[in-house]
Amino acid sequence: MMRAVKAAGSKLKLKWEYLLVLLLIVEIIIFGNLNPNFLKPRVLFGSVNDFISICIISVFSCFVFITGGIDLQAGSIVGLTSIIIGVLWKDFGFNIWAACLLAMLIGSLCGALSGFFIAYTGVQPMVVTLGGSFLFSGLAIAVSNLSNTPAYLGINGFPEAFTWFTKKRLFKVLPVQFIIFLILAAIAYIILHRTKYGRKVFLCGINQRSAEYSGINTKLIVMSTYIFSGMSASIAGIVMTSYLGTSKADFGSDLTMPIITAIVLGGTSTLGGKGSVTGTALAALVIGVLRFGLSMSGLSNQYMDIPVGIMLVVVVAASSISKNMKIKAFIRKHLNLPFKQSARQV
Amino acid sequence: MRFIKMMAKRREISSIIFLFVLYAIAGLVNSSFLKSENIMLTLNGATVYTICAIGMAFVIFTGEIDASIGGILGLSAAVSASMIRDGYPWTTAILTAVCIGLIIGSVNGFGVAVLKIPSIIMTIGINSIVRGLSYVYTGGAWVENVPSEFKQISQKGIAGLSWMYIATIVVMIAIQIFLTKTRQGRYFHAVGDNADGAVNIGLPVTATKFVSYLISAVCASLASVVFVSRIGFVTPTSGNGYEMIAIAACVIGGISLSGGVGNVIGATFGALIMSSISRILVFLGFSSNYDNTITGILLITIVVADAMVNKRKLESARRERLKARTSIVTENLAKGGEML
Repeated sequence: MMRAVKAAGSKLKLKWEYLLVLLLIVEIIIFGNLNPNFLKPRVLFGSVNDFISICIISVFSCFVFITGGIDLQAGSIVGLTSIIIGVLWKDFGFNIWAACLLAMLIGSLCGALSGFFIAYTGVQPMVVTLGGSFLFSGLAIAVSNLSNTPAYLGINGFPEAFTWFTKKRLFKVLPVQFIIFLILAAIAYIILHRTKYGRKVFLCGINQRSAEYSGINTKLIVMSTYIFSGMSASIAGIVMTSYLGTSKADFGSDLTMPIITAIVLGGTSTLGGKGSVTGTALAALVIGVLRFGLSMSGLSNQYMDIPVGIMLVVVVAASSISKNMKIKAFIRKHLNLPFKQSARQV
Repeated sequence: MRFIKMMAKRREISSIIFLFVLYAIAGLVNSSFLKSENIMLTLNGATVYTICAIGMAFVIFTGEIDASIGGILGLSAAVSASMIRDGYPWTTAILTAVCIGLIIGSVNGFGVAVLKIPSIIMTIGINSIVRGLSYVYTGGAWVENVPSEFKQISQKGIAGLSWMYIATIVVMIAIQIFLTKTRQGRYFHAVGDNADGAVNIGLPVTATKFVSYLISAVCASLASVVFVSRIGFVTPTSGNGYEMIAIAACVIGGISLSGGVGNVIGATFGALIMSSISRILVFLGFSSNYDNTITGILLITIVVADAMVNKRKLESARRERLKARTSIVTENLAKGGEML
């Protein structure tokens, strides 16, 4: 029985990921027809540069969602990381790589702070991460005031060594960002699906109390997921700063929505206990390609929220309808109605 | 001790005390902060946040969340401002804004209450759609040149306090009475406190949640009218982040996000704190850029302190129960009886 349920579950999960792949292919075909330039590998893979932060963050943020939490602060950590790198390098004379490491450490600490409050005081994750998003975006502005450069200009002129690696393309096609994303996704996959730690994360999401009673330090596990999320946000901040060659405090302020969309579209349950890295990564690509394709077809950037929002609402509506017993029964009743009547007649 | 207990029981009192402490500190550093004109300006400035927070409070009472009011505020502000600019009667413009609120609120309500979609995701999605729609409507341009007669409404008032804020407070008191004294008003807290229990005793849970979304969206639309009147122009990013401010105001005012706890008085004071922070910072000689930092620290501190107090209360209740139980057992043993 258990095995059958398990097999059915894995089949369903696989199916969902196939669906995402299918969606991705359909998108590429449609946009390729609308604009032949879209299909050039250089353009297609280059598009990853535009949404790399969504991909990187969502792959690790899904840990948080699997434990049943929510993370609204990742976007603000991106901006904080970026401005810390800039200020440390320009105004404090740090080595650029040391600045990156320090920024990553601070990003992880930001995650740890929120994670600590969520895990050890039992406050709702939404409130803490909301407060965190205020706090870290405010801190980013405070840090940018330490600099001599006016905040609206951003800090420019990074050394070649720092901006070089994101401009580089492997085989003149694949941007390095894409490789970074693949590596990070692989790391996340191994952590979540191939280690003991990953199983504990899932168990915390399914039933935190039973996880606690089976000897798992659930508080530490919950806290660690927020650290992962913060760390991935700071990696995204580093990549973004390097790619754009400028550091600003308000980077990533509009990322919260796409990240949550990617995670939910990837099949992660917001109630916790369900989700996968592959699904999330594919969903992030689907969203990114959708945004990029629409902008190549001439849709202005500001309208991009509409299709992504519709996608989010439709997906969650469909998934909750499929779970809703009443509606299921309604559909079954109305589909079976003619058969029943005919049966009665016989 | 009794005072602390009372504070722990009525969370909005602690936020009121907190507000007075904030004002006292600002007044000590810079006495011109406590001049009546400045206080009145601060109160007037809180009108939009207050209306949003009151609407949000209804949704949070039922245990859900509404992250779409920023978008609703932006869209209905753009529509009503452009209608007023183009010479439509003001009532038509306001009614249109309210209709927009009703439509979006009913979509939210349908998704969350009927289809049982997780509220945060549903409303974040709707927020981005509505925000996109307001770009479509305005074409990314600012709506300017709102007639000065309309702008003057927000300036009129008594002793520096605008009629709009007074009206908001009056409505807030009416809502508080409605929520505490009427049967329908109690539904909101009952549904949020225990949805399954509410179903079992026959309360209309779905309808209550639906109505709470309608109220929240209509409040955002009304806030947008005040916004247009106060600011006088609408940018494509107007209303960005208002949902987060409204949620923070509710939480600071002692409304628990798990539902069923708190009241709209707390939300009003929370909104006042939220809108005062940047003004206080200016009077203390800091840049108002730091208001996000202060807001974040405030929010986390208040919520964490609240959770600690609650935890301690639960612990002590459990200890008392345990003590009562063990005392019965020892009494029984002393009588030569068996353990229970």
